[in-house]
This record gives sequence, structure tokens and C-alpha cells, in this order.
Amino acid sequence: MSLLDVAAAPPSLATPRNGLLTRLLRRPSALVGLLLLALIVAMAASAPLLFPDDPLDMVAQPFLWPGADPAYPLGTDMLGRDLASGIFHGARVSLLIGAVATLVSLVIGTGTGALAGYYGGRVDAVLMRLTELFQTIPPFLFALAIVAILQPSIPTITLAIGITAWPSLARLLRAEVLKLRHGELVQASIALGASDARIIALHILPNTLAPIIVSSSILVASAILTESSLAFLGLGDPNVVSWGGMVGAGREVLRTDWYVATVPGLAIVAAVLALNLLGDGLNDALDPKGERRA
Amino acid sequence: MAAFTRRLFLAAGSSLALAAALGLPASAAETVAETPKRGGTLTAILQPEPVTLTPANNTAQPTQFVAANIFDGLVTYDFDLKPQPSLATAWEVAPDGLTFTFHLRKGVKWHDGAPFTAADVKWSLENVWKTIHPRNKALFENVTSVDTPDDQTVILHLSKPSLPILAVINGVGAPILPKHLYDGTDILNNPVNNKPVGTGAFVFKEWKKGEYILLERNADYWDEGKPYLDRILFRVIPDAAARAAALEKGEAQYATFNPVPFRDVERLAALPNLKVDTRGYEWLSPLLYLDFNVDNPYFKDVRVRHAVAHALDREAIAKVVWFGFGKPAISPVPSTLRTFHDANVPRYPFDPKKAEELLDAAGFKRGADGVRFSITHDFLPYGDDYKRTGEYIKQALKRVGIEVNIRSQDTAAFIKRVYADRDFDLSSSYNGAFPDPQIGVVRAFWSGWLGTKTPWTNGSGYRNPQVDALIQSAAIEGDQNKRVEIFKRFQETVVGDLPTLPLLELRFFTIHAANLKGIVIQGDQTYGSVKNAWFDDAPKQN
Amino acid sequence: MLTARYLRRGLAQLAFVVFGIAVVNFFLLHLAPGDAAQVMAGEAGSATPEYMAALRKQFGLDQPLYIQFFQYLKNVLTFNLGYSFRQGLPVSELLLQRLPATLLLMVTSILFAVSVGSTLGFIAARHAGKAVDTAISTLALLFYATPVFWIGIMFIVVFSVGLDWLPVGGMASIEKGYTGFDHVRDVAHHLVLPAATLGLFYLAIYTRLMRASMLEVYGQDFVRTARAKGVRPRRIAARHVLRNALLPIVTTLGVQMASVLGGAILVETVFSWPGLGRLAFEALFQRDLNLLLGILFCSSIVVVLVNLAVDLLYTVLDPRIELA
Repeated sequence: MSLLDVAAAPPSLATPRNGLLTRLLRRPSALVGLLLLALIVAMAASAPLLFPDDPLDMVAQPFLWPGADPAYPLGTDMLGRDLASGIFHGARVSLLIGAVATLVSLVIGTGTGALAGYYGGRVDAVLMRLTELFQTIPPFLFALAIVAILQPSIPTITLAIGITAWPSLARLLRAEVLKLRHGELVQASIALGASDARIIALHILPNTLAPIIVSSSILVASAILTESSLAFLGLGDPNVVSWGGMVGAGREVLRTDWYVATVPGLAIVAAVLALNLLGDGLNDALDPKGERRA
Repeated sequence: MAAFTRRLFLAAGSSLALAAALGLPASAAETVAETPKRGGTLTAILQPEPVTLTPANNTAQPTQFVAANIFDGLVTYDFDLKPQPSLATAWEVAPDGLTFTFHLRKGVKWHDGAPFTAADVKWSLENVWKTIHPRNKALFENVTSVDTPDDQTVILHLSKPSLPILAVINGVGAPILPKHLYDGTDILNNPVNNKPVGTGAFVFKEWKKGEYILLERNADYWDEGKPYLDRILFRVIPDAAARAAALEKGEAQYATFNPVPFRDVERLAALPNLKVDTRGYEWLSPLLYLDFNVDNPYFKDVRVRHAVAHALDREAIAKVVWFGFGKPAISPVPSTLRTFHDANVPRYPFDPKKAEELLDAAGFKRGADGVRFSITHDFLPYGDDYKRTGEYIKQALKRVGIEVNIRSQDTAAFIKRVYADRDFDLSSSYNGAFPDPQIGVVRAFWSGWLGTKTPWTNGSGYRNPQVDALIQSAAIEGDQNKRVEIFKRFQETVVGDLPTLPLLELRFFTIHAANLKGIVIQGDQTYGSVKNAWFDDAPKQN
Repeated sequence: MLTARYLRRGLAQLAFVVFGIAVVNFFLLHLAPGDAAQVMAGEAGSATPEYMAALRKQFGLDQPLYIQFFQYLKNVLTFNLGYSFRQGLPVSELLLQRLPATLLLMVTSILFAVSVGSTLGFIAARHAGKAVDTAISTLALLFYATPVFWIGIMFIVVFSVGLDWLPVGGMASIEKGYTGFDHVRDVAHHLVLPAATLGLFYLAIYTRLMRASMLEVYGQDFVRTARAKGVRPRRIAARHVLRNALLPIVTTLGVQMASVLGGAILVETVFSWPGLGRLAFEALFQRDLNLLLGILFCSSIVVVLVNLAVDLLYTVLDPRIELA
């Protein structure tokens, strides 16, 4: 489940009066989201420079509280690993999982939705039954099953999140495409004898970009959350640092050294918050009607 | 006969002779000081939920934890692992080791009212211990016939001696089932399995799956005045933080097998209402070890195996990874098995330089990137402690130039990979040694297991005819002193060859309410009955 | 008549979904490395080849895969959910034992999320752009962004251990042997934390949904007309806007049912709640094929039924919509 299901009345990229960025930045919440996200991306980018050593290395005494030793500003965990290094390197992994999983969902979701919406009839019926089937299986349980079967590692976790998160996107896309399909532009192209592939590629998909962009930011956020939940249940990749994995490891010492799970937990909250604020902002900025609202 | 018994007890690590008998409660030490009070409900934490409550074909710990209160065995074991009378009041082993005689207690009744007799023991041996029990088959296979001259006497006749029998005959090690309910049925699918009928201090009342198992006091129990508690409520609590909170609040008063994270133990131990105890696991004697796949191109070289041993700081694993709940192990036979343990085995002290020398000598020099070679490590999927052990190994071996890729998986996948497919390089595992190495230790070294794809057997793929011969001769040796000698030679050989690297003798812990007395009083306590436990005052329940 | 036809279509859809789940589940679990016998032998800590063979025979795992599959399909078609060898009980019995707990948790948390969330969203929309709006929106988003298990554990630390107001976990104080009203109160007491934990996550969704659809409806012609006619703002909000804004909430409710069960796995783990989510999780790791299928089967029925109900509710809320 993500906020994606809530993206009612998706906007379209209809002739923006000002630049998208300008309109985006006019919204304080979107601005906050954008800045937070930029910060996280900067952390991910700078990790190898600031913390050249392996973040999994046991470098100091275990359970150093944040601030206790200036060399380890965020403290160390139960094995004496530097939490600050983990947060920076973890940003890379968590963002990567989020981004790739979203890409997987986008490919399956837009593909299914566009085909179903464009062709209608039997194609639509089959694809929508399939989508419903996927919506009936609890997505988190499904992701758990996939990870358990393929064995937890970053690629399998990413894949599992990706292939369980697409149904809402498919429905959203289908509704959009349905609208466009009966619009003048598409009808005119059909009359002119353009091929289906050409129409979908040139006239349909570009006009669904707005909901896709908005959905993406929300999907990335929910992928990061799902990864942390999987790690909580013990399905993480121990070879790399991810925020979810760090929270999962810190859970055991929550009652005595709560910072071990809280530091990466806050990073997750910040990232999810940033992506959702950005998604909201994009939603409003891409929607001309939205000008009146917030 | 008496002479033999003495030798046996000497072997079990005690200077006491001839203690086989006479109704003294095993609990004497702790309960004499205070007079036990009757009443109260004990809430114990059960995790994970057991599959069945009948220990006949299931030796999983949760099953046994509950079942031990329902089923009494022939004996219990004290902290020195000496058998103490329970359903058997006395027993003798013939000097040639070929005849075991058990004298059974009179007037014992099954929970359904039927009398408990020698026929139940004979039936259980023939239909359970010798056949479907996953651990006992080998120990009882030389029993050729069982005589029951009267209702209170069972005589085992063996074709070859099998001394370890006396180490497994408690209520869960050699479970006695009611013949009148099982005879002629499919034991595995008998509905009684989930509504068990035993002879123990508590009677099965209710099992609400996913929630709790309720046992009630057996008013008709043979041990007069016991049990002291009215009820035991086993609650299933899957999350460790929730278990800690339940104990802390007094919602549960007894939990075994490391119920809370290690880091929480210190905090909970400091609370006035809780006590932490590491006793009661002697019968199990758990050992954490690494299996090298000796078919692996690197690990088939004994120098590489020695190098890994030198590269790992077992002291650090005990202190940091296991938070002090373990002791560096030197031999696959833990030091808790005092008679069998050999302190003179080859040692591999922590010495990364030596490790690097050995690796160089084996021809695995560091490459341009500093890496000699890469291996995978599959850790036992039993929770964060094993995972952290893997993470430590990864980092420690990296320092000597071995790149480790940790693979995590669930139990089914782990067992298939290590024991069936043998598709691994280095795995971690733990076993219970039990009071006799024959039961828990030799499994990991006997080549007869190879190819059988059986879990928790010879994971490394080790094959040494000399070791096989030692194992086989110890199994059928009737003289305990000679067996000890054989096992010492066995230990020196396998620790030299090192197909399996012993890491830690694990110290499991129990947490119980401070006002719960008589709760940890025997060496198989965590597989035993709580019939001697009592609340000093009404337990806090809210 | 329309409704009857609609129900028939619903049932056909259900049949397809159940068949799909059966196939997916069967092959998914057979792709998984290791089988139920290995899990049980693993837990036993010791085993012999004979013991493993006996287990496989007992579980029917010694049959060729296609025979297992046909056997399995036959069972599904005859509504026989089979036997969980792992748990030693018929699957249907296990489901009946666990379903009430899960339904109670799901319904309570969804009710909590919908009622509190919609109220907050309603308030936020009425004060759109003001401080109240910002505060509500931020708070909702924060709850959404915080991992569910984290909130759960913190609730235990604060409300159970710290303040000692509520029990740590479980569903009832069994040792007290409550009956009747006392039992209901006891269960309610145990329900507060898990339901709040699960509900808080969905709260954010309903808050945002309510706010967005309220604003959407505010912009529509009939509201503007009402406003022009001089209807009081409070009355507009309550009579015209709220009613129409409920539609998307009802829709989302249907879509969310499956996901709530997924979230329940985490909450049931943290609070030892004896529900289906946790059971499904365990069945997966124990390779308990029949049980996992049974749970998915059960949950898909719940999801499909809820969606049918949602569609029916739609016609009540908006008479313009007809069931086709």
C-alpha cells in the first residue's frame, strides 16, 4: 500500500504557464521535500569521499553513544561499526533499491495499464483480471515470499518490491489512457492510419507523464519503507549497509541503546517524507487546477 | 553390577558412587531452605510455537519444553549430568554392558487413569526410540529384545554394549507414550499427539494455536504434594522486544533459550523482580562451530583451514558478538562434558600473521587488490546472533585477504544448501553435544552420513577412516574408561584435521521471576518439568 | 436483476482469482529451496534418513510434482483446503481459529483510520492553507513515513512498560479466565495498541484523501451554486461536500484490504497477535503449502467480498452509478 492509491484525479502535463521548477519551488512543502531529498542524494554521492572505508568494518568500541567520541559523531553499533558511515553508505543502497524497484514497477505498471486502456476489450479484461489477482494477494506477503524463495540479497529484494508494487500504477495508467484514447488527438491519428505502437509512444505515454512522475516519487518512498520492513523480519542483505538493515539490526538493542535503530530510522522517515512532499508538490505544480487549491 | 555402576558415574564426572536410587528429590539443594507454597499460575514464554506436543518424533526444543511437563521420563539429570530417579527408581547395567535393567515406580497412572507399566516402556522402545525418534535410533539399535518379567521391571538385552543410553532416558530424550492409546495406530498421525496423555506433573488442557498452551496440575501425581503450581500457561510471543517487556512487567515469569536480546539481559538482571540463570542447559551443552566444505578448492587444504582458525578471535566473538554468553571452544566436545572433553587438543590461537603465512604457504597469495580468494558464508538462520557472527567472520577474514560474501536464507533453504546440495563454502551451525559425545558430537564427523542428505550431520564432507573406526568402536565399547580414551584420540585427530572449527561453547540463559523458586534445579531443566517450582508470594499479574 | 447479474460476475471473478492464487502459490512454493520435511528436521536438531523419508511420505512430498499439483487442484475445486501437517490440523480449522483475530484487528484499525483520518482531512480542508492544515498534513505524513514496526515497539515501551496502561501483547489475559463482558473488555484492552499502530499508517492515507477530495468537490459547480445561494459554509461542507468526498474513500477501502493483511504481519509480530498475517508468515518459512494457500484463499475471498460491498455501497452514496 502506498499513497499512490490516493492519487485521485491525476494531473496532466498541460501547457505549463511557468517553468515546472518555479511553480514547484513556490510551495513551501515541496521546497522542503526537494531540499531534503537533495541532501540525501548529496550524502549518497559523497559517501565514498567522506567515508572511504568499508562501513561494515568494526572500527571502534561497540555502543559508543552519539557525541561520545567526536570521531564517530553518530556513535557505533553493537559490533563497533561507525553509524555515520553506515548512514551515508546506506543512503546509496536505500535510494538504489527505491529507484530500481520503482523502475521495475513503472515498466510493468505502465505497460499493463497502457495496453489495457488502449486496446480495451479482451486485452483489457485479461490484463485487468491479472492486475486484480495481484491486488488480491497481500503485496507485502508476496514480496516476502519472493525474497524467501530467491534468498535475500539486494537484487532480489529490489525485484520483489518492484513486482509487487505495480497494480495501482497499472489502474491509474489505464484510466488515463482510456481518457486519451477517446480524445481528439488519438482519434485523429487513428484516422490518419498511424500504427498503434506509434500512437502509444507519441501521443499517449507523453501525456501520462505527469501521473507517472508523481507516482514515482511515492513509489520510491514506499519501496524504502518496504525494504525496512523486510529487514525487520530478518530478510536483509548482510553484505551491504542499508537503512532498513541498520534498523533491523538495532531492533535487538532498542531498549538499551535506542539510538542504534533510531538514527537510521530517522533517515528513513526523512527520505520518505521528502519524497512524499515532493510528490505532493509535483502533483500540484503539474495540475493547472491545483493553482486554486493549496 | 555395582562396580559397573560406579565406573559409569565416575565417567559422568562425579566422585560419588552408587547413587542409583532411593527417591531423594533432585531438587534438595535449593528447596530445603524454604518451604514451598502451593498455588499460582506460571506464565512461561514459548517461542517458536511447537509443531506437536508429543516428543516421540520431534526433538525440537519448544515441543520438549512443554512436553517435559506432561511426560515424565525414566530419569532426570542433575547439574553433573548424573541420572536421578523419576519413573525408574533404580537401574543396573550388567558388567558386560549387554543387559540394562530398570525398576519402575509403583502406582503411577497415565493422565487418563490407566496404570503405567513396563509394557508402556517396552512398547515405546520398540515403536518409538528404535524407529521414529530422530536421535535415538543409533543408540538403541543393538537392543535385541526387551523383557518385562513384571509390571515394574524392564530388561533390555543388547547384542553390543551401548552406554550412551543412560544419557538420554529423560522424559523427552526417550519419551514413554501410553501404549493403550497408540498401539496399532499410525503414531505420527495419531490425534492424541496434539492432546497428549502422559504421566507427568501437569495435564494437558488446551492449545489455542498461535496464542497459548495451557496445562493444569495433575492432582493424581505420583510425587506426593507436587507439583506446587496450579497451572502453566505457555504463551507464544514472537517478538524479542515484546518478550522482554512481558518479563519486565511480570506478565510472564519464566522464559528459556535466550528469550531476549543479549544486550537486554544486563538491564533485566538489574531489575529486582527478575533473575537470570545460565544453568539448566548442561544436558544440551550447545556448541557453535563452522563447517568448512572440504571439497572446496581452498578448504581442501588443511593449511587454509588452520589459517581461518588463526584469523578468528574467538575471545572477541564471545565478548562482542555473543555479549559474553559463550566461552571460546577448543574441541568439538565441550568442556561441560567433563570426562570426555580433552584439554590437550591442538590449539589455534588468534594470530592473523600466522594465518597469512599459512595462506601464503598454501599458495594463495594476495592479488593486486589484496584479495587471496573469495568464498561464501552461509550462517545458521536462527537469528541476529548468528548473522552478527557471520558479519564478524566476513570482516576478520577480509583482514587476512579472504573476501567473504555472506548469504542469508531461511532454515529450509539453509538445510538444503548445506546438507543436501552441499553448495556452500563455509557455514555456521550449532549442535547439542548431550552428555555423551556419541549422541551429539560424532554426527558431524562420521562419514557414514555422507550422501544421506540428513540435516545436522557431517556438513563438512569430512572422510577419515581412522575417525570412523574410533567412532564405531566407542559406540559399542562397554568400558566407559576405554570410551573416554577413544574419544580423546578422536578429538585430537579431528581438531588437527579441522574439517569443523569449534567456535564457542554457548551459554544459553533463562530469565525467571525472582519470586519463582525451585525453577532451575537440574542439568536438563530446560528440557525438564517445573514440578518443583513455586511462587514465594502471589505472582504479579496484570 | 442487475444486482444478481453483478453478483454472478463477482463470483466468476472470485473463481478466477482463487484459481490464479492456487497456481501461483503452488509453483512459487515449489521453487523455494528446501521442503517442509527439511524444516521440521532442522528444528528437531537431529534426524535420520528414515525420519526424513517418513516425514516426506506423511506430507505427500514423495509423489511426483504433477501428481501433487493435480491433487492440490482437486482439493481446491472441492473446497477442501487440505491438512496442515506442520500444525497437525485441517487448514480450515486453523483458519477459523485465526480469522476472527485478524478481522478484529483489521476492521478496528481501518475504522480508526477512516474515522479519525477523514475527520482530520475534513478539518484540514476546511482550513486549507492555514496553520491547522499544515499541522495536520505534516503529522499525517510523519505517521505514514515512520516504519510500522518502529511505532509498535515504541508504543509498547511507552504505554505498556513505561506508563503501564496497556498489556504488552497477546489477545487476552488467559490466566484470568474472563468470560462475558469482562472478556470483551479484556480483548478490547489488548486491541488498543495493535489497532492504533496499524491504523496510524492508514490514517495518513485517509487524511490526505479526504482533504484532496473535499477540495476537489469544493471547486465543483453545484457547491459554487449553493454558496451563491447563500447556504452557510458549515452546511455546505456537511451536506454537499462531505457526501461526495466519501466516494473515493470507499473506493480506497476496497483497494486496501489486501494490503492491510500484509501490514498485519508486522503488527501481529510485534504484539503477538494471533492472526492470519503471522500465520501466513510462518507457513511461508515452514514451506507449509496447504496452509499458505488456505490463507491466501481466505484473504482473497475477503478482498473480493469487500470490493463487491464497496460497489454496492457506491450505488447508495451516488445514485447516478449503476451496476453494470
